[in-house]
Amino acid sequence: MHSAHPGLPEFDYVKPASLAEASAFLKAHVGEARPFMGGTDTFVRMRDGFWKEKYLVDVKHLEGMQDITYDPAAGLVIGAAVNMNRVVASPLVKEHYPLLAEAAHSVASYQLRTRATIVGNICNASPAGDTTGACIAFDARLKVHGVDGFRFEPLQTFFKGPGKTVLQPGDIVVSIHFPPAPRGAQGKYIKLGRNAIGDLSIVGITVLGYPDASSSSGYRFKIALASVAPTPFVPAPAEALLAEKTITPALLEEAAQAAMDACKPIDDVRSSAVYRKAMVRNLTHKALVDVWGRLSAAAR
Amino acid sequence: MSLHRINLKINGVAEQVDVASNTTLLQMLRDRLALTGTKNGCAAGECGACTVMLNGEPINSCMILAVECEGADLVTIEGLAKDGQLDVVQQAIIDQGGVQCGFCTPGILISARALLNRNPDPTDYEIRDALVGNLCRCTGYVPIIAAVKQAAQMQKQAAQ
Amino acid sequence: MEKSDSQKIPQPVGENVQRIDALEKVTGSAVFGDDIQFGPGLLHARIKRSPHPHALIKKIDGSKALALPGVKAVVTGEGFDGYLGLYLQDRHIFATDRVRYVGDPVAGVAATTEEIAEKALDLIDVEYEVLPAVFDPEYGATPEAPLLHPDLKNYAVANFIFPKADTNISNHFRIRKGDTSSAWAQCAAVVEHKYRVPHIQHVPIETHVAVARVDDRGKITLWGSSQSPFAQRNLIAKALHISQSDVEVIAPYVGGGFGCKAGVSMEALAVAIAMKVRGRPVKLLLTREEEFHTAFVRQGVVAYFKMGCDKDGKILAMENRYYWDGGAYTEYGVNITRASGYSGTGPYRVPNVSVDSFCVYTNHPVGGPMRGFGMPEMHAGLEQCVDELAHAIKMDPAEIRLRNCVRGGDIILTGMKMHPTGLSECIQKAREAIHWDEVHPASGPNKRRGKGMAIMWKAPAMSPNAGSSAWVEMNEDGTATVGLGGQEIGQGTFTVMAQIAAGTLGIPFENVRIARPVDTDYSPYEWQTVASRLTWSMGNAVMAAAKDAKRQILEVVAEAWKENIDDLDIVNGNVISYKTEESISLQDITIYGMPRENFNGWIGGPIVGRGKFMPTYVTGLDPETGQGERSVVHYTTGAQAVEVEVDLETGRVEVIKAVAAFDVGKAINPKLVKAQMEGGLVQGLSTAFFETLRLKDGVVINPSFVDYRIATSSDAPADIESIIVETAQDDGPFGARGIGEHSLVPTVPAVANAIYAATGVRVGAPPFSAEKVFLALMEAGLVKGV
Ligand SMILES: Cc1cc2nc3c(=O)[nH]c(=O)nc-3n(C[C@H](O)[C@H](O)[C@H](O)COP(=O)(O)OP(=O)(O)OC[C@H]3O[C@@H](n4cnc5c(N)ncnc54)[C@H](O)[C@@H]3O)c2cc1C
Ligand code: FES
Ligand code: FES
Repeated sequence: MHSAHPGLPEFDYVKPASLAEASAFLKAHVGEARPFMGGTDTFVRMRDGFWKEKYLVDVKHLEGMQDITYDPAAGLVIGAAVNMNRVVASPLVKEHYPLLAEAAHSVASYQLRTRATIVGNICNASPAGDTTGACIAFDARLKVHGVDGFRFEPLQTFFKGPGKTVLQPGDIVVSIHFPPAPRGAQGKYIKLGRNAIGDLSIVGITVLGYPDASSSSGYRFKIALASVAPTPFVPAPAEALLAEKTITPALLEEAAQAAMDACKPIDDVRSSAVYRKAMVRNLTHKALVDVWGRLSAAAR
Repeated sequence: MSLHRINLKINGVAEQVDVASNTTLLQMLRDRLALTGTKNGCAAGECGACTVMLNGEPINSCMILAVECEGADLVTIEGLAKDGQLDVVQQAIIDQGGVQCGFCTPGILISARALLNRNPDPTDYEIRDALVGNLCRCTGYVPIIAAVKQAAQMQKQAAQ
Repeated sequence: MEKSDSQKIPQPVGENVQRIDALEKVTGSAVFGDDIQFGPGLLHARIKRSPHPHALIKKIDGSKALALPGVKAVVTGEGFDGYLGLYLQDRHIFATDRVRYVGDPVAGVAATTEEIAEKALDLIDVEYEVLPAVFDPEYGATPEAPLLHPDLKNYAVANFIFPKADTNISNHFRIRKGDTSSAWAQCAAVVEHKYRVPHIQHVPIETHVAVARVDDRGKITLWGSSQSPFAQRNLIAKALHISQSDVEVIAPYVGGGFGCKAGVSMEALAVAIAMKVRGRPVKLLLTREEEFHTAFVRQGVVAYFKMGCDKDGKILAMENRYYWDGGAYTEYGVNITRASGYSGTGPYRVPNVSVDSFCVYTNHPVGGPMRGFGMPEMHAGLEQCVDELAHAIKMDPAEIRLRNCVRGGDIILTGMKMHPTGLSECIQKAREAIHWDEVHPASGPNKRRGKGMAIMWKAPAMSPNAGSSAWVEMNEDGTATVGLGGQEIGQGTFTVMAQIAAGTLGIPFENVRIARPVDTDYSPYEWQTVASRLTWSMGNAVMAAAKDAKRQILEVVAEAWKENIDDLDIVNGNVISYKTEESISLQDITIYGMPRENFNGWIGGPIVGRGKFMPTYVTGLDPETGQGERSVVHYTTGAQAVEVEVDLETGRVEVIKAVAAFDVGKAINPKLVKAQMEGGLVQGLSTAFFETLRLKDGVVINPSFVDYRIATSSDAPADIESIIVETAQDDGPFGARGIGEHSLVPTVPAVANAIYAATGVRVGAPPFSAEKVFLALMEAGLVKGV
């Protein structure tokens, strides 16, 4: 029987004065120190006894961490420490990346989103993360500060397994960068939980579609699936179908089927693999129909 | 483990507390300051019984370290009524019969107050969405949802 | 002035007065168990628990833990050889020689902080010899199963519980009435099914908490979140071989109980630990995860039903068998088994009945009482079978219920004559409110609509002589303080008792106070806050106490005024004379009495009324046939109907409208009655859609809110209608009966029947999660598979 502790285990709270200091501290305490944002994953894991860090490093106050900025040419930058409620409420996000707001809104509860961050959601690398799909669909990159200075990490290669990322000791994500959203893009996030709202996802379906002259169908669709694989999952065959063939109701069904065929979910406490598979098909289809409906309406 | 001296305002009163790194805001309120109106139902961010208002936003007090609250302005259930005058959400939840055992009530009232602050005229769906992190095992939520509607109405009338 | 008609219901009975505890609960000042301040002397306890479902304890070594700075005591079962148990005493405070479930307490630590106590647990070494375990009650009842309680035959047991020595069967209750075997041939339709209803948890938002202190003389004080202060006093005293009056239980507000805080659950652990650190209060607060692992569960059941009816829908026979997964010990399980036996046909008139209800020891968590006490689990399958009978003979499911439902004067399965009951009225009203005969179109092409109904009955399941007592004490200001021992757990009992006292005495509601917290040293005796019995039983006691106080007051005034007591009354806080129209305020006279004429001495003195109630008429039942004259005190009956929409894309079921109609005898406070109906209904829906305590090899694998979901604000139906039916209870205060538990009894089968009506598919046992519904639709070929 595994049972969580009544409170958090002992650790030291560390608040470095600069990113350089923070990265140096993390690097000097490999396996003993961890950066955190809202702590909504971190505290839970520590209270459960799975994580035993000696130091929690608070970097939320450091430069750029709390900012949301938008530039039509460069796109959107969200500081790592910006909480999800701010993302949901941001007029910039609502106007240019409504899919991201929709996904963030689906996470937990309002009061938890006062703490939870998108960067935390991504760095936590849970296959169930609700905001990851939208970030992947928008081709977002993470700006990382490490012991050797700044670099960018694309999300396509960021995830290595459940809870595993390419981040190295000393790395701190400072912000997440979204290129300008494709012109005419329409998006949909469908989260299926056990409760009507508020649960973790049994499956999470992100679909982003936009006109694209370079593809034979004239459109490009980005699809990302949560909770169906060890990492956030992109069903490439489905995306390919929608780019290559003329879009018809039958093709949307075919693509949904392809998404289902591409993923290999597992049984867990929340759901069986069989149900997950069926839901990937049905809800990908539903999301595609919805997005396609809006795309074709806009084209008329 | 190091101790941290923090200064913050709780229900309008300045407080100074020495807290350990691993003390959550919930633990500080209940165990150090005897502000026991804020409840512990899970210590894991799931039930919402510990919800307080931090710098104007509702937050699970079990999901934030006390040391992170340096300089914060905090409102707990004890600070919701002003000068003996109940907040409209308090009055409305009584009127609608939204209180049974009362253990979820403090958290619910903070969430409700925060909702009406950011959205004075919420729809049924918006109310449910705002309360989804506050579990109640007794009432079935229906009278609580009605109470938030009533409170919005009362607030509107008072403003006129 | 007119003398009031004594049959008339006095104000504020029947009125929607405001809850007496509302203000303190909305301001955060209401005190719950963990809120009580004990100062720096408080020690914190944590419990070392068994990781094995079944094992012998070979050795426990706490010496390393004791050496940890801050640890004040490490306590094991050594020296605690007594047994706990309400009906069957089968559980030591700490497991001593053997552990029987994952989470069974083997040792406890008291330390200066919770953190230190928690650390100390890892330093306690326990050696086990693992034994084969039992996880299925049917298997557990067979001779092949390993024996979990070899001492069963030596356990003390109540005279209406029948354990079978040298088996795992801790109770077997039987009903034999008429002749089922010859009845089947006369049936036009026979339905036969097996259901496996899973374990669930009560999930109060407040977890269990207990603080114990033992003084120099050995007197124990226990503060706790408790539905049963007096039962705890009694059972803990017995287990410790001490006198009941040396145990004081103080019970502040309860943050939700639903049964799991009845009897003794974890409280004795705090007491045992406190005995080793005399003078210091010791607090044990369960974490949410610990609550899921170790608190009483609603036990699972494997239920077999066979029932048949003739071509007119008259039910001719039922043959039902229930195997209750009682778990490792049986605080309440044996009596749930009994209750589901003597109510084993559901609320139907059935001439030929055979019921066998078994309580079986398993290596699962301990079965406790949960809202409904076996009835929701039993009705879950039973009411689906009745539905199927109706469909089999092409009868409307509401109609078959109307034709067969129990009515006043019927002889029920135990041979008892049914009292007047408004069940058929409940069915009619639910049917009207849900617009039973209308067909509503679904909201989309991938949706299916349907309506379902289920009915229920439930009697307070308790010792036949469970008693209540109360006092009513008058204060200088003319107010009255009511002393009682029943607990406010959210149901509103303090408010209802104040209404009964106010109405009976003749004073305004605002002038009644409830003496709290309940404290067994100061409060009058109350059996337990369970069984939906307080309004009826404690209500009678409070009424009697108020009448007694009133009589005493009127006697004083009658003597002072030289009037006949029959001409006097108390109205709105004043004693009045119908004859002389004279009137005097209660202020002062109920404490200081009244002066005689010319100040020639005084009459009266402080007024304290007292009252009690105990049902004296319940008879024993024949152990072979379950027949007897009066099996229970009474039944509350009712019906629920729901309209659902099933989403064929996901299997998700949405409740469009839900209707509840219950016969509560008399609603003392209709708003509180409806709050019970509504809250219970949503809790019922929560069990219908979400809840299962997932047990894998005896281990709870979903011990948190993340994995054990309950209904949230997003899941409550938008449209709920609650209907009160009132067929007076002959021995209830103003005719009242209980309603707390009943409101979730028929919910699961009502939903199941609605899903069937919508899709033609029976999902069987709950929960009807989207996944389960979808997979059932898939199997039926209604939706595309994978
Ligand atoms: C009750 C509850 C419900 C939840 N429901 C959902 C849900 O519905 N959907 C969902 O997706 N998630 C859910 N979560 C999980 C969690 O809230 C989210 O993953 C959240 O986005 C994490 O953000 P955070 O800022 O709190 O992360 P933290 O806990 O602060 O960090 C998470 C991880 O990221 C690392 N990290 C954080 N910041 C940085 C940084 N700047 N640089 C490098 N590494 C970093 C941390 O070291 C840690 O490993 C839930 C959690 C709880 C407690
Ligand atoms: S105690 Fe914080 S959410 Fe439950
Ligand atoms: S009133 Fe009891 S949990 Fe909400």
